[in-house]
Amino acid sequence: MKKKLFLYSFFIFSLSPFFINAKEDIPFQSTYNPQKSSSVLIQQGRLLTATEEDSFIGDILISNNVIVEVGKSINPPLGTKVIDARGKWVTPGIIDIHSHMGVYPAPSLNSSSDGNESTSPTTAHVWAEHSVWTQDPQMPLALKGGITTYHVLPGSANLIGGRGITLKNVWSRTVQGMKFPNAPYTLKMACGENPKRVYGGRRMEPSTRMGNVAGYRKAWIKAETYLSKQQQYESKSEEAKQMGYKPTRDLEMETLAGVLKGEILIQNHCYRGEEMAVMLDLAKEFKYKVTTFHHAIEAYKVADILAENNVCAAIWADWWGFKHEAFDMVWENAAIIHNANGEKGCAIIHSDDPVGIQRLNQEAAKAMAAGNRVGLNISEGDAIKWITLNAAIGLGIDKWTGSLEKGKMADVVIWDGNPFSVYTKTEKVFIDGILKYSSEDISLPKPTDFELGIINPEENRL
Amino acid sequence: MKNTFFISNFFLLIFSLNLFTEDFLIKNAKIFTGTDQGLIKNSDIHIKDGMIQEIKNEIDISNIKVIDLNGKLITSGFISPLTQLGLVEIGLESRTRNDSSDVYSAGFSIASSFNPKSTLIPYNLTGGITLSLSSPSSGGLFSGLSSAFYLSGKLKNSLLKKDIALIASIRSGEGSKAASFLLLEDFLTYAQDRNAEKDLSIIPLSQEDGNISIRDLRAIKRVVDKEIPLVVRVDKSSDILTILDLAKRKDIELIIAGASEGWMIANELADSGVPVILTPIDNIPSSFDSLGSRLDNASILHKAGVKLIISSHETHNAYLSRQGAGIAVSYGLPWEEAIKALTINISESFNLDEIGAIKSGYKADLVVWDGDPLEVTSFVERVFISGKEVPVENRSMRLRDRYLDN
Repeated sequence: MKKKLFLYSFFIFSLSPFFINAKEDIPFQSTYNPQKSSSVLIQQGRLLTATEEDSFIGDILISNNVIVEVGKSINPPLGTKVIDARGKWVTPGIIDIHSHMGVYPAPSLNSSSDGNESTSPTTAHVWAEHSVWTQDPQMPLALKGGITTYHVLPGSANLIGGRGITLKNVWSRTVQGMKFPNAPYTLKMACGENPKRVYGGRRMEPSTRMGNVAGYRKAWIKAETYLSKQQQYESKSEEAKQMGYKPTRDLEMETLAGVLKGEILIQNHCYRGEEMAVMLDLAKEFKYKVTTFHHAIEAYKVADILAENNVCAAIWADWWGFKHEAFDMVWENAAIIHNANGEKGCAIIHSDDPVGIQRLNQEAAKAMAAGNRVGLNISEGDAIKWITLNAAIGLGIDKWTGSLEKGKMADVVIWDGNPFSVYTKTEKVFIDGILKYSSEDISLPKPTDFELGIINPEENRL
Repeated sequence: MKNTFFISNFFLLIFSLNLFTEDFLIKNAKIFTGTDQGLIKNSDIHIKDGMIQEIKNEIDISNIKVIDLNGKLITSGFISPLTQLGLVEIGLESRTRNDSSDVYSAGFSIASSFNPKSTLIPYNLTGGITLSLSSPSSGGLFSGLSSAFYLSGKLKNSLLKKDIALIASIRSGEGSKAASFLLLEDFLTYAQDRNAEKDLSIIPLSQEDGNISIRDLRAIKRVVDKEIPLVVRVDKSSDILTILDLAKRKDIELIIAGASEGWMIANELADSGVPVILTPIDNIPSSFDSLGSRLDNASILHKAGVKLIISSHETHNAYLSRQGAGIAVSYGLPWEEAIKALTINISESFNLDEIGAIKSGYKADLVVWDGDPLEVTSFVERVFISGKEVPVENRSMRLRDRYLDN
């Protein structure tokens, strides 16, 4: 019986559209494969879809892990569970494009502080996913804040810090079991103070911002050479391939070449306006694309340049002053980025912080209110994008998530009120149509292993 | 759009030049008093010589300047406890920091290095903070003495009261915490000794225990003499109980700061009458001392009867204590109590007289809001410190205006 059930469910799993694995020979593939979700109709909530400008009262039908329909009024098919969402707000699952959950977990311990391979300024060969501790208690806290997807980056000690990874906010014994299926890899780069402080402090290069830029250029020149050798080899006939030597694999160069081929997305920690402009010139020199500038405190100074280059800016609503490159913060940053070149800008609110990740909605609210106070006309529909669709665009996963649209993954949050209020909390969080948090169910979110009996043996932490 | 913005700024400037001083009337205000009167609507406040004279439904005085609030909310200026406002400009730049000392410990008074022209001061004033209990942040058992400063930006008269509390911390990772408790107890014991000041060598402390100077000893003696409270930063429930017991035995005024696991011993805290400084926004079990960290800590402690003070988690955005207070409210703390935890509970706990409430005889430190002060979307409209209006403008707004023009 059990075996039959297993086979049956296996069959269903393999039918799910998003969770088909790629080629067998690629290591560390996603094994995330949610069970098939039942039909749920979220009825008459106020919807912020992240595609429409204004909110409206409507229904969402989810089934088989996807959003089946979004509309003013949907007739539930037979057997559909109906959730009365009158008076509630419904948004896409919140996405944090900048997190260190798992690589800088709580409690902060030497043993698991695994976010910065700060032993060399360029470490494109390291991958953040190999540091992730899956039982970080910060993850379920973020889930209660509506986070359904988050992007884990290496730290910013290095010029090129390594690959980032996009995860679904689900409990799993393995990192592979959390990996967002088919999400592109990313590469962390860092401008400014951090790399020069870390290595300058050891009296080695880089110790200046000019040293930083020289470091990036050296790495990309090497990567160009590596890629062209690879491409030369690949273009040979099978016969010629057998006669010649196959170029040696180089982990560092594989990642950099992946960027040059457009397969790996650059996530560039960069605070100052002039440094962002330099990084965009660098990208032109080596023909790669910067997807998103992170911690872009001064993006408002170069918002038009970012919009022209089709680059997103991920920012905090109000962090500032912890270092000099964070000194020129303005509350209106997101609104100015958004409005650049006739609303062509791409603003993202990120957390970089286990406290902030629990309430990106409030951070977006602050930035929206600040923009409106100076007449920049930011709607709630705009502000919700800053923590959903735009973050998905920045991660290259907007085909699958980031908005309430037919056919997308059923990553949905039901809020007990307007999400742009300090008093509002999440009521239900669905990931791929499966209820992962409910304010009415004390068994959710599922506690991490760490939380079992950690204070009182017979209880969970919270 | 830009034009109207400029015009409104222009009017603001005119307003700020025409600073209301001495004698004026605030009319049609929704007043959060911070007293038993709670929230009162459609009322007037008479302010004279920097003090609140009278609050009444309708006050009529002829030939007096009138500010009509048209029903807007006015509260006491918020107070920021235990931040480094005026002592730090840029976190990572040690040359911009005046908040620690290797020379002094308990006796380290930061008052003389407070910079009223710090960019953090008008910035946090625009967030609704009028008074800062600026505090040292040196490591070790004692950080030093806090002083209360107005955020008026004035080179003179920013200081309200010097050396109002002694700050100590019980930290993990520096050997056993037991040594910190013993050291604290020893200091409190020997500070009572009449002969200690004449001959510091009678204090049986090794060099590693910390250098003790006469200045340090005197600061500890002020705690022993109940002139000032001792603030102890401590998170773990068992450690809080240890400190409560010590304070009782030594008969000192205690304030607990941090208290991530306070809810686990809420009744003991309430019985002790010790106020607790919380940062309700932080629920991360970031160490084994704060495993019990949770968002309803404030609400549980309040229900048990603990006097709460709400703090921000950091200095640059000290005003975000408002957001923390809002979160505490969403987890069950009554709104009125949250505002008190940002105002009157702080002044009372730190013995700052006539501060923190809108009440006859209190200082006219007032903030007018465009909405609920605990909402993240609300802004400060006007600020008065000691009855004088202070312009609501900061460097960040100047930067914004420059780039909005582009």
